[in-house]
Amino acid sequence: MNRRRALATLLAAAAASATGCKKQENAVAGGGGEMLTVAFLPKSKGNAYFVACKKGADEAAKELGIKLLYEGPTEPDPARQNEIVEQWIQRGVDVIAAACENKEGIATALRKAREKGIKVVTYDADTLPDARDFFCNQATPQGIAQALMEESAKAVGGQGEYAIITASLTASNMNEWQKHIAETNAQRFPEMKQIALRPCDDLKDKAFAEATALVNANSNLKLIMAICSPAVPGSAEAVKQAGKTESVKVVGLGLPNENRRYVKEGVTPSVILWNVGDLGYLTIQAAVAVSKGSLKQGDTAFSAGRLGELKIDGSDIVLGKPFVFTKDNIDQFDF
Amino acid sequence: MKIAWKQIVWRPETLLLAVFVAEFVIFAQTGNNFTSTSNLFEIARLSVTIGLLALAMTPVILTGGIDLSVGSLLGLCAVCFGKLWRDFGLPPLLAAVCTLVIGALAGGLNAALITRLRLPPLIVTLGSYSLFRGLAEALTRGVDNFTGFPASFLFLGQGYLFGVIPAQVPIFLAAAIAIWLLVHCTVFGRSYRAIGFSPEGARFAGLPVESRIASVYLLSGVMAAVAALIYVAHVGQAKADAGSGFELLAVTAVVLGGTSIFGGVGTVQGTVLGLGVLAVLRNGLFMSDQPSELANILTGALLLFILAGGVAVEKLSALRARRSAPVPPLSHE
Amino acid sequence: MKGRHFREWSVAAVLGLVLAALAVSAPDFYQPRQLAAMLTETAPILLLACGMSLVILCRQIDISVGSQFAVCGVAAGLMAQQGTPMPVVAVVSVLSGAAFGAFNGMLVAGLGLPSIVVTLATMVTWREALRWWREGEYVRDLPTGFQWFGLSQELGQGTLLAIAVCIFLGLAVALRHLAGGRYIYAVGSDAEAARLAGINPRWITFGVFVLMGALAGLAALVSAVRFPDVDPKAGTGHELRAIAAAVVGGVAITGGRGNLWGVLAGALLLAIIAPALVFWGAPPQWERAIQGGIILTAVAADGWRKRKEPR
Repeated sequence: MNRRRALATLLAAAAASATGCKKQENAVAGGGGEMLTVAFLPKSKGNAYFVACKKGADEAAKELGIKLLYEGPTEPDPARQNEIVEQWIQRGVDVIAAACENKEGIATALRKAREKGIKVVTYDADTLPDARDFFCNQATPQGIAQALMEESAKAVGGQGEYAIITASLTASNMNEWQKHIAETNAQRFPEMKQIALRPCDDLKDKAFAEATALVNANSNLKLIMAICSPAVPGSAEAVKQAGKTESVKVVGLGLPNENRRYVKEGVTPSVILWNVGDLGYLTIQAAVAVSKGSLKQGDTAFSAGRLGELKIDGSDIVLGKPFVFTKDNIDQFDF
Repeated sequence: MKIAWKQIVWRPETLLLAVFVAEFVIFAQTGNNFTSTSNLFEIARLSVTIGLLALAMTPVILTGGIDLSVGSLLGLCAVCFGKLWRDFGLPPLLAAVCTLVIGALAGGLNAALITRLRLPPLIVTLGSYSLFRGLAEALTRGVDNFTGFPASFLFLGQGYLFGVIPAQVPIFLAAAIAIWLLVHCTVFGRSYRAIGFSPEGARFAGLPVESRIASVYLLSGVMAAVAALIYVAHVGQAKADAGSGFELLAVTAVVLGGTSIFGGVGTVQGTVLGLGVLAVLRNGLFMSDQPSELANILTGALLLFILAGGVAVEKLSALRARRSAPVPPLSHE
Repeated sequence: MKGRHFREWSVAAVLGLVLAALAVSAPDFYQPRQLAAMLTETAPILLLACGMSLVILCRQIDISVGSQFAVCGVAAGLMAQQGTPMPVVAVVSVLSGAAFGAFNGMLVAGLGLPSIVVTLATMVTWREALRWWREGEYVRDLPTGFQWFGLSQELGQGTLLAIAVCIFLGLAVALRHLAGGRYIYAVGSDAEAARLAGINPRWITFGVFVLMGALAGLAALVSAVRFPDVDPKAGTGHELRAIAAAVVGGVAITGGRGNLWGVLAGALLLAIIAPALVFWGAPPQWERAIQGGIILTAVAADGWRKRKEPR
């Protein structure tokens, strides 16, 4: 009986492993082979923002003829990000391009990668400067914060109470944006008051629930500022279903496809973002250039393929200014 | 002294070992740097946390119970440790000891509800699964992430002995040996299987069933605390969501290793092998540039295959035995 | 006589207390839109909890319903995207749920595998397969007939609640008065005795898993039509909510005891915590701890009562 069970299990496991490996492409030893290997780490795999980033990254990978690895946690999880980085170090890759959920948390793993000769660039959310070679920023945090406050003020006529919905209260880049939002609020729009800051764990339905609660519990609320992409359509739907589209507006950092319907209906007067695909494209271009040595410390400009010349500020490569999507231009974009 | 080869070769653990070897062979072909020494140690390092939970889960399942709260307890202990160290200023060693006590108390809560009130372990630990995680979230207000631990503590999870062996591996080995001795060599531990096989029978045989059952949940709680410390040292941060989903991975490793979820049957070495099979599967697929979703799907499929295959084969051989029996049995079971 | 349903009445009493406290200290909670939103959010959970109660009554458990829920929701959305009429979409959603349930049922009833391990494996497999396939992408661009079944928000919410209430009542009545319902209790109390009495426990168990799957499919549909697009991450954690509602509502995990009215009270009680915390201005992070506390209290109360009964 044991013998038969042994055979059955052996066959089953071998079949399971074999089917899993049927799909994989030619595995080239990273670091020494012909094709450069770039490992791309999002904050979370299922987030449409990072999926759009990856599309741009794929485009650059094809153009430059390199191998792109893509792996990430299912939800924003700094510990899992560390684990993935460490496994990539083991596997052997040429460059790691990471969007860092927690600035300090991932620094140790990235430093270890650099010690092993792997180049590191970050995008969307930076880590400590000594843990990476370059940071590809979509826009400066000040620029993002100012755009958010300006659009919010425009939506409510410069005065009123507003609430911020963020992804998680420990996400480093969002904390930085919040800091600048508070500054811009105090300096330029003193009649606007922030009354709440709620996390939505990067989940649309949690953002929906939070926004519903906020809207129902605070009758003076005029605006929801949603700074993580799933929260923008989530909040808009909540405002709509609560029947408060006249009194509450939604502004945020979101993708045009997800928000098109709300922008057109007027619930969300404007959505701010940048060309997310371009960010991914830039990141891979920079990653490859750093690996090949054509992009090094002290450079002041970088030629990023079809994006042209981009300025480098210290070790930050900035994509440009934030872009405002309104109902006049949102149809031109598809991501 | 004649060695009974047949008895050694055809044990259930041997077949698991064969699966382990098969995975190795396959991934050595398809994976990048899969067989390098550093990767092998890395596999060991990444499995220690789940491994500790699985080791403690084995006696629990042997007694016919289950502990679904270990993942949440890991999170709670991690957060308590962070708070004790950062907000109360305790030195890491003292904070660690307090954390172990917290783990024991939590395990004690489970034990009390299960033995005193005779409640089913599944439901009790489902309730404590929510309670512990909720306490962790409440303590950190859902927000806090404790970081910046001293290097001496982080060595536990990130350091290497002799430059090669990850620091937590000897801890896991020590725990594995200790639990193996407990379950297989002590009278105390051997009672677990008896209790799982038939609690009433064990009681009539004079075994103190309640206190033995309580002991496994206490052990589980303490082990969750140990795993929490290693986890925090490894990732360098303590957040309320630490350990999410770990309980299911631990149960998977134990069941893969041949322990019956109904209790009474199983070995510690089976759990260690089950753990190895799982860890190698996931790492091998990663090194072969396969997405993590595939690793999880294959884990689920492997679990089903092993279970279903075992039962199907047993039924086939029973069928064959019945067909070849010359006379139908007269008495009923 | 009341003593037999003491459990269910006590849960209902606690629910009543909380509702009364809210009426006094936070009357805003009772705004019609707020109530409607809360009830429509609880309706799918109630359906899942009903199905789960039947599974638990048979001494089994099903932790894969969250994943079934997610897949059925996405399938319904995709069909709607292709322009399929809503009634067909509804049928497909329910049938695909039933298919998942049948798979579980085959392994548990047919091969005699432990339900916790089987449903653990299927939970992981369906969830990860969905994640791999959709990559987190929503099912978008659905026709206007999808959200709220094409009705206005008020009518749509009313329809959802009506569906949930009808199914609930149907199940409650069937469980008590139909022979099949009695068989479920019999199998859960003592499968061997049931077999000797002429009931086939394997078919009952199989049927219960199929029913659970069908309810998961229906719940997915009821949940999905609240929004203009379908989220593949929907359903995360629903299996625990369903089990919690059943357990708090008095369904015994050892099988054979419990009824759906208690489950209704349990589901409402657990659903009310989060909004109550918001309206009372309490830190919302306590929600999960409070839920865990309620579950343990309910279960402990059961155990305490059992102690007093003669063995």
